[in-house]
Amino acid sequence: MRQITRATIVLTAGLLLTGCATLRVSSHTDRGLVWSKYQTFEWGPADALPVGDPRLDKDPFFQDHVEGAIEKAMTTHGFARSVGTERPDVLIHYHANVMERLDVDQIDRGNGSCATTDCQPRVTRYEAGTLVVDIVDAASNVLIWRGWAQGSLDGVLGNRDRLRRRIDESVRQMFETLPPVR
Amino acid sequence: MLRFTRLAAVAGPSIVALALAGCAPLSVNSYLERGADVSRYRSYAWAENGAFATGDPRLDNNRFFTQRIEDAVDMQLAARGFAKTNTDAADVLLHIHARMDQRLDTTDIDRIDGRCLDNECRPEVYDTGTLMVDFMDRRTNRLAWRGWAERSFDGVIDDQKWMETTIDKTVARILERLPRQQ
Repeated sequence: MRQITRATIVLTAGLLLTGCATLRVSSHTDRGLVWSKYQTFEWGPADALPVGDPRLDKDPFFQDHVEGAIEKAMTTHGFARSVGTERPDVLIHYHANVMERLDVDQIDRGNGSCATTDCQPRVTRYEAGTLVVDIVDAASNVLIWRGWAQGSLDGVLGNRDRLRRRIDESVRQMFETLPPVR
Repeated sequence: MLRFTRLAAVAGPSIVALALAGCAPLSVNSYLERGADVSRYRSYAWAENGAFATGDPRLDNNRFFTQRIEDAVDMQLAARGFAKTNTDAADVLLHIHARMDQRLDTTDIDRIDGRCLDNECRPEVYDTGTLMVDFMDRRTNRLAWRGWAERSFDGVIDDQKWMETTIDKTVARILERLPRQQ
């Protein structure tokens, strides 16, 4: 009989997971879109979706760094911030989400070593953070690109330096999936 | 337009955590309201959009996801002879619901016998996606038919082409269960 016992599953939080420490980035886009017609950008109104964690809600450090990283990435990819009352070609939205997820720790059978002392698989709980960035056609209000980065936030939220590095790396890698604009 | 609502989670199939969605079992079901004569329906329209709650920040308000579902349903219904009309002329109004969940699978491990069914001997966590299509009778405003499918979505969202293919196949399987027109 198959049975789950208390010994089978031990739920812990920690940094021992190699799998969930990986940053995963990807994007969806409108294939065939002529990106060269988009030159300028501006921030769109913030969405009303919940962040999922009070530590990031209305955190000016987090918001400033995310917005700064995105503006830098947009500039790097050939966009310019719209000037004065000039109507931007695209609007930028971003959304951050924190949710609890499960992972199974790694047993390195190739090296004959285990991640746990008793060499049993462990299911662990960790905080997964997702940063989503939307690029919206300002004229039609249609989403033309959505990029995201996901990774474990264990040990990140409480450390400003790690949080800043995580934001920078997330945005940089995410924007590498943006189609060639120029 | 589409409407997303929360879907109650149902038990997931046993799969390997990083298995491709195509390898994972696809569970398809449907429900026919007692007394409803779905076979007489000839025309449909999309119901008004509602609140989004897919359980995955990558998919909330993501038109690349919602539009693909809508397009897949349109294609299947066109092949079945349905006419897409405006809301006032439609026999049925369509709603789509989608929900992403993470599941824990431990069925590979037989702890009583102290052995594994295979050499992996580890619990697995994986993402599942549930997609549901509702046919609401426009005149009575009552649910006439509901079809839904659940399958692994591990890695699917991060690959737009894979996601689109998965949606197309899943919608086709759901609508196979729709009673044929007379």
